[in-house]
Amino acid sequence: MTIIIFVGSLLCTMAIGMPIAYALLISGIALMVYMDMFDAQIVAQNIINGADSFPLLAVPFFMLAGEIMNTGGLSKRIVDVALALVGHVKGGLGYVAILAACILSALSGSAVADAAALSALLVPMMVQAGHSKPLSGGLIAASGVIGPVIPPSIGFVIFGVVGGVSITKLFLAGLVPGILIGLGLAFAWWWEVRKETIVSPPKKSGREVLRALREGVWALVLPFIIIFGLKFGVFTPTEAAVVAAVYSLFVALFVYRELKLSELFAVFVTSAKTTAVVMLLVAAALVSAWLITVSEIATAVVDLLEPLHDSPTMLLIAIMVLVVIVGTAMDMTPTILILTPILMPVVKAAGIDPVYFGVLFIVNNSIGLITPPVGTVLNVVAGVSKISMEDLMKGVWPFLLAQLVVLFLMVMFPQLVMWPAKWLGG
Amino acid sequence: MHTIVEGYFKLLKVLIALFLAIMVVLVFGNVVLRYGFNSGITVSEEVSRWLFVWLTFLGAIIALREHGHLGVDMLVRRLPNVGKRACLIVSQLLMLYATWLLLQGSWQQTLINWDVAAPASGLSTGWFYGVGIVFGISSGLILLADLYRAVTGKLSDEELVMVKESEEQEELEALQHELAERDRREARLASSATHGETRP
Amino acid sequence: ANAQDIQERTIRWGHLNDPGNPISQGVAKFAEIVAAKSGDKLKIREFPSSQLGNEMQQQAALRGGTQEMFTGAPTSLVGTVKDFGLLDLPFTFSSGEQARALVDGPFGKLLFSKLPEKGLVGLAYWDLGFRNVTNSKHPIAKVDDFGGLKLRVIANPVYIDTFKALGANPVPMNFAEVYTALEQKAVDGQENPFAIVLSAKLFEVQKYLSITNHTYTTNIVLMSKKFWDKLSPTEQKILQQAAAESLEYQRQFSRSYSEKALEQLKTNGMQVNEVSQPERERMQKETRSVTEKILAQYDPELVKSFQNELEQFGK
Ligand code: NA
Ligand code: NA
Repeated sequence: MTIIIFVGSLLCTMAIGMPIAYALLISGIALMVYMDMFDAQIVAQNIINGADSFPLLAVPFFMLAGEIMNTGGLSKRIVDVALALVGHVKGGLGYVAILAACILSALSGSAVADAAALSALLVPMMVQAGHSKPLSGGLIAASGVIGPVIPPSIGFVIFGVVGGVSITKLFLAGLVPGILIGLGLAFAWWWEVRKETIVSPPKKSGREVLRALREGVWALVLPFIIIFGLKFGVFTPTEAAVVAAVYSLFVALFVYRELKLSELFAVFVTSAKTTAVVMLLVAAALVSAWLITVSEIATAVVDLLEPLHDSPTMLLIAIMVLVVIVGTAMDMTPTILILTPILMPVVKAAGIDPVYFGVLFIVNNSIGLITPPVGTVLNVVAGVSKISMEDLMKGVWPFLLAQLVVLFLMVMFPQLVMWPAKWLGG
Repeated sequence: MHTIVEGYFKLLKVLIALFLAIMVVLVFGNVVLRYGFNSGITVSEEVSRWLFVWLTFLGAIIALREHGHLGVDMLVRRLPNVGKRACLIVSQLLMLYATWLLLQGSWQQTLINWDVAAPASGLSTGWFYGVGIVFGISSGLILLADLYRAVTGKLSDEELVMVKESEEQEELEALQHELAERDRREARLASSATHGETRP
Repeated sequence: ANAQDIQERTIRWGHLNDPGNPISQGVAKFAEIVAAKSGDKLKIREFPSSQLGNEMQQQAALRGGTQEMFTGAPTSLVGTVKDFGLLDLPFTFSSGEQARALVDGPFGKLLFSKLPEKGLVGLAYWDLGFRNVTNSKHPIAKVDDFGGLKLRVIANPVYIDTFKALGANPVPMNFAEVYTALEQKAVDGQENPFAIVLSAKLFEVQKYLSITNHTYTTNIVLMSKKFWDKLSPTEQKILQQAAAESLEYQRQFSRSYSEKALEQLKTNGMQVNEVSQPERERMQKETRSVTEKILAQYDPELVKSFQNELEQFGK
């Protein structure tokens, strides 16, 4: 009954267009009334405490870093590097998109920012080269999904805080699955363009490649700073985020000189505002999370899924299907916030490694960014490249399929995730 | 009245940007001190967490005014305007109630914690919970103003849906704007180029 | 007891420790006694491992009446009733008996008498044993060994100043982040009782355990006064009896658990060294300035009774 009250009030309030943060508060209040423990302080304490977390400080820092990279010309340099390296092979621009997406992912925590930058720069070039526009847009949208999987990732930060899982371990475990998704996309792209006769841009001379690398090196070293810094414990994820922000600020201001001091205030305000929107959601979710902890919902869900405890694979498949369905209609952050407190006890009860689960969960949530009807990254690409949603959906499905196959493989063969994670995290 | 309101939101923007900047300095400063000087800022962790909490709620006030909070508008978008308005009013009333509880609870917690000193900085923990009062009053007034406009029919059809589906919608809109500018610029350039063309 | 005086109630009891450790065991014993005495009407629900938030958050919840019970170190009370800070002074207690006698005696009662005006009721002083230093670099046998070690400490001036005075670099950090920070070597070491080093599996990421016995950790059983005032005298009596009856059990368990924990830490490959008495005295000397600075912040009368009782029970 408790779970029906919670889910019911949440869905009803969301359906009438209430902001999800407030819908979470209302469902928390409904739980409080139902559990006969009404007290305004429960709302106030938990929402304010909810924003009080050092690990979550990574969110504004990564937002700031991403904002600076796009305004400060770092993203553009990375696309140039990818172009110089793989632009000339058959269907090369597609591989450029995938490679650039992987590198951009290692710099920023946001799929939307990556997809926006890539579609603005690459879709016109791809169309000019003779590729179909929907297919090009579809590939770019699907490449955006790599953003939250390869560290840094705001999705991992929020999942780690809410689920009580080491963010460093999640970050290091996300690296290889992100690359696997990239390979999956590359395969799908190769399949789609194998019969096309398209002239790729000419091979760049050694000197040109060198120039692109020299220009881009300032942007390219940042992923290494972050990954090695985390692996060798130089800093915590929050500190890695602040290092990324300060470093990109330095490069944008003094090396590329594409960010003017006068633009800085706007950059800080935008990052702070985006942070506030995400964090109000996080904080409000912790009100109902507290009530879920105090109620017996978690136990009820564990009992409900009891038959699946002996078969972690079946359980994982069931959860993954659920997340795909929820992900069609909801953005990433709210999905993580609402499902994590309910799913974690089940996952632990079934003896599934929380880091492994976290990777699958975030990959799945990222795929949700390109599933209609609510696919934020689809909207971005459609908007930026001026493709109709209908066409874009036709263009994206081969890549969506490839990603679902990669996800399925990771469910069936946990070693794909866990071996590299052990090696990197060890 | 208008200038006071605008001034207040300008102040909020300056504050959140300032808080973010101080957070960067404190956390980054701590990394530098730890490796460079084998020391640290004792209050860094606590103060940056508190600024973060204030940033969250002050920023959330701005987002509420700009209707920038995340929501699902799939269903309401399909309703006729009458239905949209009804949903909006119901949702605003519920939000006001939640805000009222939040304000009441923050008030109680601020009083209770007024005499509690924070472990590292020694600041009163009342300041920490006090952000709930600022948020409660500010967002309560915004909701009341919106509700008034909804009830008296002063909202445009666009405004009847007050949520966004992605946290980065704003960035996206800015980007689209920028691209449109670029397209216009290029079109201008292209047309001037054609005009200047002498050969066939 | 009169049955009508007892109502069906659920008491939510939160703490920061993992299930199975001495605090959790104490809660279980307390719950058992309360259930027996109330005919299963008063129920205790335990929320271990910071499930209900960190110590400051849970304490605020008790004061506001949204949570009924909490158990934590005196450190978490210092912001509310400053006098609890005296229990945290480094190198003050020479034995567990001395610490227990002090908190059970007039001084401990005096501290408890200051809680009700802050919306709290103190029920008992539980045990977690002496705090000791672990690290991944080298054994700490003398003061100089602290030099340059990055040690995680509780975010509290007493701990920060103490380890600064010893020459270490104290890094205040939330307990929830300690394991990862040690694993990633963002910090070299930390300080906690054996019981915590074991239950939080810190032995997996730390090599050296040095028995410094620098602080004795009592854990205070707190109840929300708002909740307490709602109880009938019979119910209050049951809870007080449970506190008294579980006290000896909890302390005994804590002692034997500590001993077993130490053995298990050794079996798990930790290198253990005892700090010699003369070296411990030198550490005490190094931190005397910290102690004096802190003592000067307290009411001289209180300090005097604290020191008198220390001496009296130290014999
Ligand atoms: Na990323
Ligand atoms: Na979707």
